[in-house]
Amino acid sequence: MEVIGKSVIRKEALDKVTGRAKYTNDFHSVSMLTGHKVISPFGHAKIVDIDTEGAWKVPGVRAILSGNHYPLTGEAIRDRPVIAVDKVRYHGEVVALVIADSPEQAKKAGDLIKVQYELLPVVNSPTQAFQKDAPLVHEQSGEYKKEEDSDPVPGTNIANHIKIRKGNLDQGWSESETMVEASFSFAPSDHAAMETRCATAEILPDGNIIIMTSSQAPYMVKRLISDFFGEDIGKIIVHTPFVGGGYGGKAPVQLELLAYVASKEVGGKPVKIFNTREEDIITSPCHIGLDATVKLGADRTGKIRAAEIQFLWDGGAYSDKAIDVTRSGAVDCTGPYKIENVWCDSYCMYTNHPYASPYRGFSHSELTFVIERTIDLLAQKLNMDPLEIRYINAIKPGDTTPTRVRLNESNVGNLQKCIEKVRELFHWDKGAVQKIDERFVRVKGVSCSWKTSTIDTNAPSGAILTFNPDGSINLMSGLVEIGTGTKTVLAQILAERLKMNVDNIHVRMEVDTQTMPEHFKTVASRGTFMAGRAVLKAAEDVIKQLKDVASCVLRAPKEDLEVAESRVFLRDDPTIGLHFKEIGYGYKYPNGNAIGGQIIGRGNYILRHLTPLDPETGEGKPGPEWSVAAYAVEIEFDRRNLTYRVIKACSVVDAGKVLNEKAALGQVMGAMSMGIAFACRETFYFDELGRVLNPQLRTYRPLRYGENPEYLVGFVESPQLDAPYGARGIGELGLMGMPGAIGNALSIAADVSLQNLPLIPELIWKTKEASK
Amino acid sequence: MLPFDFEYYKPETLKEAVDLYQYLDQQGKRPMFFSGGTELITLGRIDLAYTDAVIDIKDIAECKVLQVSGDHVLLGSTLTLTQIEKANLFPLLTKTASQVADHTARGKITLGGNICAQIFYREAVLPFLLADSQVLIVGSEGKQVIPINEIFLGQLRLRKGEFLVQIATESRFVRAPFISIKRRQQWDMGYPLITIAALKTHDLVRVAISGLCPFPFRSKEVEAAFNNKGLSIEERVEGALEVMPDPLLDDVEGSAEYRLFVLKNLLFDVLGALDDVRV
Repeated sequence: MEVIGKSVIRKEALDKVTGRAKYTNDFHSVSMLTGHKVISPFGHAKIVDIDTEGAWKVPGVRAILSGNHYPLTGEAIRDRPVIAVDKVRYHGEVVALVIADSPEQAKKAGDLIKVQYELLPVVNSPTQAFQKDAPLVHEQSGEYKKEEDSDPVPGTNIANHIKIRKGNLDQGWSESETMVEASFSFAPSDHAAMETRCATAEILPDGNIIIMTSSQAPYMVKRLISDFFGEDIGKIIVHTPFVGGGYGGKAPVQLELLAYVASKEVGGKPVKIFNTREEDIITSPCHIGLDATVKLGADRTGKIRAAEIQFLWDGGAYSDKAIDVTRSGAVDCTGPYKIENVWCDSYCMYTNHPYASPYRGFSHSELTFVIERTIDLLAQKLNMDPLEIRYINAIKPGDTTPTRVRLNESNVGNLQKCIEKVRELFHWDKGAVQKIDERFVRVKGVSCSWKTSTIDTNAPSGAILTFNPDGSINLMSGLVEIGTGTKTVLAQILAERLKMNVDNIHVRMEVDTQTMPEHFKTVASRGTFMAGRAVLKAAEDVIKQLKDVASCVLRAPKEDLEVAESRVFLRDDPTIGLHFKEIGYGYKYPNGNAIGGQIIGRGNYILRHLTPLDPETGEGKPGPEWSVAAYAVEIEFDRRNLTYRVIKACSVVDAGKVLNEKAALGQVMGAMSMGIAFACRETFYFDELGRVLNPQLRTYRPLRYGENPEYLVGFVESPQLDAPYGARGIGELGLMGMPGAIGNALSIAADVSLQNLPLIPELIWKTKEASK
Repeated sequence: MLPFDFEYYKPETLKEAVDLYQYLDQQGKRPMFFSGGTELITLGRIDLAYTDAVIDIKDIAECKVLQVSGDHVLLGSTLTLTQIEKANLFPLLTKTASQVADHTARGKITLGGNICAQIFYREAVLPFLLADSQVLIVGSEGKQVIPINEIFLGQLRLRKGEFLVQIATESRFVRAPFISIKRRQQWDMGYPLITIAALKTHDLVRVAISGLCPFPFRSKEVEAAFNNKGLSIEERVEGALEVMPDPLLDDVEGSAEYRLFVLKNLLFDVLGALDDVRV
């Protein structure tokens, strides 16, 4: 391996460190208008009146959109108006949109719009939403247009219900000597990407709709605008420059729709819709909350025999991507353990909270906390070592997942190896509890996780390669560069296959859906796998074409040719050969005759063997492979103040194959940092009116540099045979185990079971007070 | 983006600033004295601050003073918290100010801006309350020197058109033993759950607190209970807790009950550090 595994510096690094890299909001044009959102100050209220008279008097105002009956939108269930109609269902929902010449004018006019509300009873948690007599967020949920696999239950707040029925639960309980049951709850929160969301739209006289957006799913934008508004899909062209962090929050389509209707309203002029930080936190989709109950049973050796799980996901006001998150949570509901008897009911609940979207880990970050806390409760009751109970129950080839997929050496990582490596790296055998003095104690906590990516069964990816006259290659993929460096990894994959210098591969960073082949969405840690496969196929295509031409020029059979170092040459005599620059654009003989022509490589990939889930049992193959990881943290706890520090945090990830070492470390550590913030600090605080009380970075606080612990990252490499060079997805795993591991360590340290997030000292104090 | 335009003035003398204020006020421009500008920018963009005219006092010599003069330390109101930390003329202030906001913001936030802030924690005032400092204020009636404990009652009671110029603190207080602790909801970022500053003089411990109530305070009742040497440490702390002012903050940073739990431990810490008694 020449390039694979090396810490190749990402191709956009210089632009990013010098501030030259451009994001959606950096693109201005003189004629571009601004859309300003007027948002709901309440969680649930009837819109009695919207008075726009004052706003119209502001100079520069071109249009004011409110209460317009556009078609309903939403990915799985069409339950969401582009702009609220008749009532608002969450704090932050857009009730009116002012389009004006400048941002200042638009805001000024927006501030003059008077909206009269009549408060409605608020559904403030998924548990409340689940009660029989709960107020309804959607009165007509049975009438919405929807996908086949989504079934809202009319007259309730249930947007969807996924069932897992595996094995025989009664038998599982009868085999169990020890049972534990616990309930967990945490509120929605934010993704806190550095770049707030932004979209622009312009409709040209020829009907072409030009969108630019900070999205993880530009091809989805195209598809949904076509689906929702009946536009010709070929006329929708979406551009996505660099995206400043997505974390799942930029997978849903929202501002693009506002920009589209706004542009339409002003005769196709370009309109920009930009989120302030506050709007990005509450108006745009948030990180999903969860209420859960987990019951586990184990035999006397500690083997888990039965699991009964209920998830009530806080889908918020509109179901959108929460439907998929609910399904994904059910699919891997048990965590990475072999359990033969499993019942899971995973409900997507409507509430009057900002609506939910995926968050790094796609339901796994959330479910891992509740499962891993319950595993520790079980270990405690069995008086077993928490790492040992995980080791003996760890999922392995030959076992089946909750949806009954039989695992093998390729489609699941090696969890036991990860656990062993954590044991070693973290000196687990030196003991979990170290008393410093009467007041301070150091405690280690552990956890494990797994993840498959439940994405569309026919999700595609494509790649195109073209040559430059100097023999260097341009690589085009519809993958969005969201900060993970994946486009550089694609260049490494290509360089490795062509045995050439990675510096001679130029990667197109901006996505343009008209000229670049589709990559499904830049989500679910599928970028390297799917786009990587497409690139490998394109490389094969290029090699074949290069050899075709070279074989003719060199008068040698193709089988005798080799490609390396930007040359095609004879295997037995490398001095006889041609440089790419001599054949990439066709070969010209000395007399002027030419053959071959421009070489254009193409490659594609489509996921295989995936199936939808059986609605009654959940049986089905939801994703291509299961990646696994094990974690440990060490905290120092102050028994008097009930405060703590995370001293050290460790993740061991089965990466299959590390493609770019520094990038992989960066991904895992970055994810751990997010996981620590999610575990220990980030949450929305709601009042009784469903208002988010902390929609600002003053009061909503991600982890700051310097607050981080020491990070230890280890990799295990058990290759996924059908993935590029065996690599598994690693972008999410670092996050997923942090809440569980920290919760476990703190619960030991504080001697109470902590079952909520975030794990702030006040929570510990409250839990201790309640247990007195 | 600030949704409004405003006029900008940068006077060079106190008189000029005061006159400008009167003139702009008469024109109905809701003038605002301005120094670091952090509140105008951050609250202005969410409609919680507004002005048609700002008077930037950063160029006025008296406001930039940073010196020891006789047995006083003089600190101008437009010094940034970073400048104050670096000069370290008043260690208790250094410690307390260094925990406000974050490093980037402290490079802009000024002493006067923090003490006169709309955001009510105003932690930089705590050391001055403890040290019985004197504030120099200027207004249409000229300069005035007033004991801070007479004019700072939750906030600096400035009349319209007045602004804070300097604060003078006696050297004996600057050298007194002290402790200053900030406790947040979690770790190193965010507003205080409780910030407590304490100073010992004449064998008595003085305490000032921010974050417990929607205003910073130093309370005679609290200090009396705290210094009641006839009682046990526990009784002194309990006694102090009983006479805390109202109302207690109960918000996203923490509930009122939890703040009292935090405060109680902090009071023990203060006594532990300054009372020569181990708890």
